[in-house]
Formats: sequence, C-alpha cells, structure tokens
Amino acid sequence: MTERLTLLTRTTTAGAVIELTGGLDHHTAPEVRAALAGLDLRPGQQLVLDLAGITFCDSTGITVLIAARNHALAADATIALAAVPERVDRIFRIVGLEQVFSTHPTAQAAETAWRPPAT
Amino acid sequence: MMCETGDAEEGGRHGHRGPEDEQAQFSALLEDSAEDLYEHAPCGYLSTLLDGRIAKVNVTLLDWLGYGRDDLVGRKHFSDLLTVGGRLYHETHYAPLLMMQGEVSGIALELKAADGSRLPVLVTSTVKTGSDGQPLLIRTTLFDARERRAYETELLRARKDADLERDRLKRLNATLQRTLLPPTLASVPGLDVTAYYHIASVDEVGGDFYDLFPLVDGTWGLFLGDVCGKGAAAAALTSLARYTLRAAAVYDPDPATVLANLNTVLNHEYNGNDPRFCTVVFGLLTPDTDRDGFRVTLASGGHPPALLMRADGTADYLPTPGGQLIGVLPDAHIATTTVHLAPGDTLLLHTDGLTEAHTVSGDEDRYGDDALLDFCRTLAPTNASDTTDAVRGLLDTFGTGVEDDTAVLAVHVPRPTRQKEQ
Repeated sequence: MTERLTLLTRTTTAGAVIELTGGLDHHTAPEVRAALAGLDLRPGQQLVLDLAGITFCDSTGITVLIAARNHALAADATIALAAVPERVDRIFRIVGLEQVFSTHPTAQAAETAWRPPAT
Repeated sequence: MMCETGDAEEGGRHGHRGPEDEQAQFSALLEDSAEDLYEHAPCGYLSTLLDGRIAKVNVTLLDWLGYGRDDLVGRKHFSDLLTVGGRLYHETHYAPLLMMQGEVSGIALELKAADGSRLPVLVTSTVKTGSDGQPLLIRTTLFDARERRAYETELLRARKDADLERDRLKRLNATLQRTLLPPTLASVPGLDVTAYYHIASVDEVGGDFYDLFPLVDGTWGLFLGDVCGKGAAAAALTSLARYTLRAAAVYDPDPATVLANLNTVLNHEYNGNDPRFCTVVFGLLTPDTDRDGFRVTLASGGHPPALLMRADGTADYLPTPGGQLIGVLPDAHIATTTVHLAPGDTLLLHTDGLTEAHTVSGDEDRYGDDALLDFCRTLAPTNASDTTDAVRGLLDTFGTGVEDDTAVLAVHVPRPTRQKEQ
C-alpha cells in the first residue's frame, strides 16, 4: 500500500508540532526521519506528532514514532502523540507502547498539558 | 539547411541580397523536377489499380527491393511484395479498410525483396478518385522501418530481460525466506507440532519467523515472532533475532531472560534514527513429571497472545499483558504466563498477519482477535495438523486481503489412547 504523506511542522512555545497526513509506512518513513533530523528541540520542550490525518500505518510507521521519541529524549525533551488513530492505538496496545507515549485527543490539548521545566 | 522564410529575410540578416536572388538559388537547388522528387524521394512510392496490380513504382522502392521496373509494373500485385503473414493481413484488413475509408495510414508490414530478404516498412495508402467520385487507383507510400523495428526488438529484448530478472528476484526472495525458517520442525517425543507460513508478497521478503529446538533434560524451546518492515533489512533483523534466540536459550533457557537478552542485542544493533523492533513469543516446554503432558512457560515481547484449545472443546487466549516489543526500549517489560498442556490440548501461536487480514479485499474490516477466538472455539478439540490446515484454509478465503506474511505454529499433546474425536 502506497499513500503519500504530507508533513507540516510548526513551532509553539511548548515545542515543535509535526502534523502528519496520509500513509506512514516504509515508503514515507524516510521523509519523517529527515524532518526529525532538522528539528530544533530545546531541553524541557515537548515534540508533538499530530496523527489526526494518518490513514495508514504499518510496522515501519511505528519505528518512525519510536525514532521521534529517541530524537526527543536525546534533546532532553519529551514527546506526545495527538489524535492517535484507532489502528495505531490497537498496535500500541499489542506491542506495549501505550505505556511509552503520552497521548492527547488533539495537538491543542497536548500543548495545554505541557508545563515548562522548573527553572 | 536553409529554411528561412521571406519574413526572416526582411529582418535584415541577409539584407544585402534581394528576394529574387534567393528565389533563383532555391530553384537551382531544387532543380524544379517533380519527376526526380518522385523517383528518388526518401520513401517508396507505388500506384496500383484497384485490384492491386502495380501500375507505377519509384526508383527508391525498386532499389530497396532489388527489382527492375519491368519485373513489377503490370506483372505483380502489391500483395505479391508482402510476406505470407503480411499478405493475409492485407487481404483481410488492409484492403477492405482502404476501400471503406479511402485511406489507411501507418500500418507496419514486411516486404519481401528479390533476394528473399525482408524489409519492415510503414505503409500508407489513399484511393484516388475521379471527378465523379469513382475510385480510380491506389497510391501508396512506404517508409523504411528498419530502425524502428530494431528499436522495437530492442525494447522486447529489454522487457524479456526485465521479466527474467523479476523471476530471478522472486526465486531469490523465496530462497531467502526459506533460509529464515527451519526446513522441517524437529520431532518432539510426546508432542505433535506443525507450522505454516503464508507469504503475502513474492516480491518482498516478510519478517515472520519461528523455530522449535531441543534444550537440556528433555526440555524444548520454541519461538514465533514478527520483525518490523519488509525486504532485505527485515531479513537481516530476522536472522539476527533467530540466532540470538537459539544461543540465548542455551545460555539461560528462562523465557523472560531469553527475550531480555534478545532485547539487549537488538537495542545495541539498532537505535537512534533507524530503530527496529520485533515482537516475539518464546516458550519453554518441559515434560510434566507429575501428570501427563507438558508444562509450557510463554514469555511475550509485545506479541499477540497465544491461544489454547483444550481437550474439553473450550478455547481461550493466554494473555501476557504488559509485554513490550523487543529491540527499541532499553528495559522492555516482558510478560510471562505458564500453563499445563494436557493430552488433547493444542497451543496455537500466530503473527498478526492473520488477525490484521482484511476479510474482504480492499475493505476496512479486519479479521480481528474475537473472530480468531471464535474460529478456535469451533476447532477445539483438535490437533496440530488440523489446526494449521484450518488456518491455511482461512487465509485462503481472505485471498489478497492478507497484506502481511503470516506464520502459525501449533503444538499438540496427543492423547495416550487412540480415541480422538473426529
């Protein structure tokens, strides 16, 4: 299955938000990896992946989400997922990733839930 | 080549010469001879009567064919110049179409030269009519299509090569896939074990794997798993996972420890930007000394739970909640469960290619865990080979709805006496 993926990155005070729309699989994974590499994340910030527009996600797609988590952790930042589609949620529960990612119904909710690090 | 128009002339580039000079120069070049243009045109000209008899032919075509004018004019028909196949096509298609439409254009035919050699040509004909609209004769132009034919032959050859390469790749993939699976499962005394592997795509190696192998003191190790992704990278990961599991089990056969060791190995190998994971169930089978059958301890690293179909006809999942995928988390949690396999019981391990299959191809609906449980409840009580046969049949009904490779492994403890229910 090959579906195009579009990425939209914006920056909030809480940190970067990447909106993913389309299919997340081994055809489109390199685009997201490249986008992650170019991301400016500061310690204490929160990277949000907005999955509201995801139409398809296979096991390679899951590795992209893990790569995003690794990227955030390496920058001393955190990661949150917004609007996790039912199928991704099901895979998460089978593979035990629901304990690893904090999730929010919307990107806005994720931003609201973020607390700046104590200084 | 000179092909500037008078307009360009007045643009002043050749302003020193008048238009009249130019005209004269052109005339001299062109010799003003329609006859010469006809005879030596860069294409063949042929005029025939309505019955195809050759009435006029130019030198170009005569040269191509190696005939003299007298060999053809008044003696031969156009179709006499064609190969047998071309003649058939001419009689059945070309000539009728020409009569009907008054014109046929760009048809590929082969001419037979005087020396028997063949000349591919592109043929266009028009019917010349008199002032009363009655057809008088047929005018035909023939273009040398040898270059084009060579090009087509080359294309065909390239396509044949590509087809061969594709077949070779398929064979290579199939071979690679086979090397990732045990050629045959070991025979375990007191156990009946079968496996089935469904390949979803012949073009890409999937990443399911399983094995069953002896450990010390009559115990046996077994595993079944699924790596992320497809293709060569998935195959490499599968290989690493398989051999690590075998080695780790020899070192310490405790299922949770085996998976923890696999997690460490994969986590060191793949991390950062390009993480890779697998989900796997590892089982340790120990003959039960107190009662008949085996004790089986299953450890799950984020893998769909095993199913137990009991001798009494019931069936249930053996949940291992909280188990996490192997390879990307430094301290992945591994969940274990222990059950007794009594005579008549059948344990089924599967990968999610089965439960994630679309029941109707292209439809959003997936088969799902509940449907698989119902399916196993109707199977129970059963045995290993009936179970893998039934799953194979089930996958066949999904057809192309099975998007991912699927592996199943069934372990059955036969009843001591031959009183199996049918």
